[in-house]
Amino acid sequence: MTPKHIEEQYDAVIVGAGAAGLSAALGFYRSEAMRDMRASGVEPKVLVISKLQPLRSHTGSAEGGIAASLGDMEPDDWRWHYYDTVKGGDWLVDQDAAKLLAEDAPKTVIGLERDGVAFSRTADGLIAQRRFGGHTSEYGDKPVKRAAYSADRIGHQILHTLWQQCVHEGVEFAEEWYVTDLVLDGTLGRCAGVIAFDTHSGATHAVAARNTVIATGGAGRLFHTTSNSYDLTGDGMALALDAGLQLEDIEFVQFHPTGLAHTGILLSEASRAEGGVLRNADGEAFMAAYAPGHADLAARDVVSRAIRSETDAGRGIADPRDPQGPKDCVWLDMTAIAPVRMREALPQVVETIERYAGLDPSKDMVPVKPTAHYTMGGIPTTTDGEVYVWDGERRKTVEGLYAAGECACVSVHGANRLGGNSLLDACLFGTRAGQAVASRVAADPVDAGTPSDPVLDEALDAAKTARDGDIDTLIEQATDIQRGDGDATDDDNAYRVITDLSEAMERGIAVLCDAGSIERAQVVISGPIAERARHLRLHSDARTFNQEITAVWEARHLVRLAEAVLAATDARHESRGSLMRTDFPDRDDEAWLMHSMTAAGAPVLHEPVHIVDIEPGARAY
Amino acid sequence: MAQLATSGTTVTLRVHRFSPKPARERDRARGGSPFARKSSPFGDAASRPVRRPRGRQWTQDYTLDVRGDETILDCLLTVKRTIDPTLMFRYSCGHGMCGSDAAAVNGTPTLLCKAKITDWAQQPPSVDDEGFRRTGDGDAPRMQTGEDGTQPGGLGIIELAPLPGFPVERDLIADIDTMLEQIKRLKPYLIADGTLATTEDGGVDVLPFLQTPEQLAKYEVLTTCITCGACEGACPVYAGGEAFVGPAALINQARFVNDSRDEATYERLEAIDTADGIQACQSVRACSRECPVGIDVGEEIWQLIAQVKEREA
Repeated sequence: MTPKHIEEQYDAVIVGAGAAGLSAALGFYRSEAMRDMRASGVEPKVLVISKLQPLRSHTGSAEGGIAASLGDMEPDDWRWHYYDTVKGGDWLVDQDAAKLLAEDAPKTVIGLERDGVAFSRTADGLIAQRRFGGHTSEYGDKPVKRAAYSADRIGHQILHTLWQQCVHEGVEFAEEWYVTDLVLDGTLGRCAGVIAFDTHSGATHAVAARNTVIATGGAGRLFHTTSNSYDLTGDGMALALDAGLQLEDIEFVQFHPTGLAHTGILLSEASRAEGGVLRNADGEAFMAAYAPGHADLAARDVVSRAIRSETDAGRGIADPRDPQGPKDCVWLDMTAIAPVRMREALPQVVETIERYAGLDPSKDMVPVKPTAHYTMGGIPTTTDGEVYVWDGERRKTVEGLYAAGECACVSVHGANRLGGNSLLDACLFGTRAGQAVASRVAADPVDAGTPSDPVLDEALDAAKTARDGDIDTLIEQATDIQRGDGDATDDDNAYRVITDLSEAMERGIAVLCDAGSIERAQVVISGPIAERARHLRLHSDARTFNQEITAVWEARHLVRLAEAVLAATDARHESRGSLMRTDFPDRDDEAWLMHSMTAAGAPVLHEPVHIVDIEPGARAY
Repeated sequence: MAQLATSGTTVTLRVHRFSPKPARERDRARGGSPFARKSSPFGDAASRPVRRPRGRQWTQDYTLDVRGDETILDCLLTVKRTIDPTLMFRYSCGHGMCGSDAAAVNGTPTLLCKAKITDWAQQPPSVDDEGFRRTGDGDAPRMQTGEDGTQPGGLGIIELAPLPGFPVERDLIADIDTMLEQIKRLKPYLIADGTLATTEDGGVDVLPFLQTPEQLAKYEVLTTCITCGACEGACPVYAGGEAFVGPAALINQARFVNDSRDEATYERLEAIDTADGIQACQSVRACSRECPVGIDVGEEIWQLIAQVKEREA
């Protein structure tokens, strides 16, 4: 869908239409502030911009569950969920935010149920819940059933339900529009809106907005092997960096241990819970040696690192589909699971293995490799979704700018996210951001007729002019191969740059790294890859439905973001959660119990972690 | 280990390409189907001028080295990266969850990311000098030559075209807005007593609906629809949706009709009981064959027809 006309000024623009963006829209429309506005005859102007049709968003791929202490199946308490979240994040968690997450989780999940999510059910008709790694009762005592689920497709259910409710509310979408610029005033004090490119018409739009919510999701495509969709190129985070803002804790990237070899497609943790065992090239079940007592069911980061240690020691195997390639996989042996049980308990896992590896998991061993899964860090926000700048001493919020979901960092995941907490974060803090925006709109709606600020208007105009120039240059310099302007096979293109960047990042910092590997990645990415991204050309001069235009911007966004990730990784001289530096192998609370704040081309600053009532302790599972 | 994992071979993707004329040159097509009901709540032909493709159409062959166990999407991405970055097709998750990459593979609507090369590649049928395909006797089959005169070798050819039934935008990208509009017009959301859902202060009330596993089983499979449009592309009646609301919108309605929490069953059945609603379904059941999530679309619509009839009785 494309909006019939573009407003001169919006009350709110939401960028991204996954769980966080759609929740923000619903949070806005269902807020008390919204009801009051409508009661007094004010109809706010809201637009949701998304580079995909909303139902294509990656939220739909989430499998396992959404965490909430409903206690439907056994006693549970939000305080236990709160504690687990802080501990799982290796204490790099803002405890005020985590408290909100855990305390409001039940009402978030119940709200989703009332909106229509087809949760799996207990015999009594309650929402069914399952165990998930790191979720315990009695503060770490024993595993608890806390993840509310819908077979193995909770993300699909939530995404479709949120979209359906947005249809109900009459939310206006601009689909397959790509946001190219986030426009702030010169002092990073206020947000003017965004510049967006309509991929259908080929036109750019200066979208003036009193409030902008960034909800663009993660950045798995920074790495070659990833469970993320092809669209997760870290656009929102890169937009923030381009605008001069910081990213918080961006060095923390979660690698899920069992991606299906080089495809990176996720094989759920349930495959090991049901009896699957990891084996090295010698057939040895190696996890028992790395995590006594937990073996194959140790924490995600622990298992990923163990796999990496095995392959680094030469005990890895090649992906059978790339037999000459690197021996960077290990075997997942599920042959001990009874075939009937396997089909019943792991239908999605079996289908994925059969379809995408051509193997029969009841007979064959399956090649697996850690796969880039989730960015814990992102655009720093308050618990109301307001984006802020850390000046070294205090938070300075950017007026009218909000962020939520994986692209944001309200800091509930710290250095490592627990399963089931990502959908919860996106829905809960997305809703809160929408509500906060509604309150701000109610104070001064566009309808009330207050004139727009000329400083912001000028900033927006300047950004649009620059972007139009960029597009014109791309179009003019295109080598149109359909008209016989040469051959694309010898020419560089955006897709190659993205692939090469993801391989360099994977070699440099996937799972483990040290100063040397970080530097090698920096040299490649800031050198030849950045250079190639700057000089990318199109191979068709079409403006409409030309995916290569957005691919060029995605490549540039990935370069920008990769540089920030590498800078933040380089600056943190400790190992914590998902970040394992072999040259600084221990956690160092004395020096590093701090959030990193990384802006493009600036030294990394540090913000203290909000500790409320859980003192840092050892993170042993 | 996959059978073809180590044995290299080739496949030829024969892609039906389309490049639209720039919008200002493109004259709007007038009219539309003579069968379209102008007053239809679904078709609304008056507000949506029907676009016929105007632009350049051609087929292009891409021959790739493959193992055979790749998906067609894998191959298309290789084409984009190494041969032709101007080849356009929608894709996102790459493993059958997002529903964005439905297209016609050898004429059959299916998801590119779930279609394996070995399952779809075929040697071209033998064609005589008059262009007729021999189907009967034992004459030695003759290979059809490609445009450049070479013979396709290896695994053979896979023919790719945009999803049938929808206007093409560019190459394999179809405009599926009609489908989404049709779904949206039928209130595709749970309609239930909302008074418990919110409290005075705007918070969400603590009571979820109760639903037994048996009640869930009545509609659960219908919630797995990924709105890819494969069923609509397969439906001989749908053809652009001017005279039929289409299987995807009906499946969406069946999902709510069979959900014990939904309170608008009667209204929903009433709304779809129109000439271009469920009455237009001819029970061909082509919609069931390629549903990538395994919904028996034809059977589900058949059940829905029974429910509509029951309501009348």
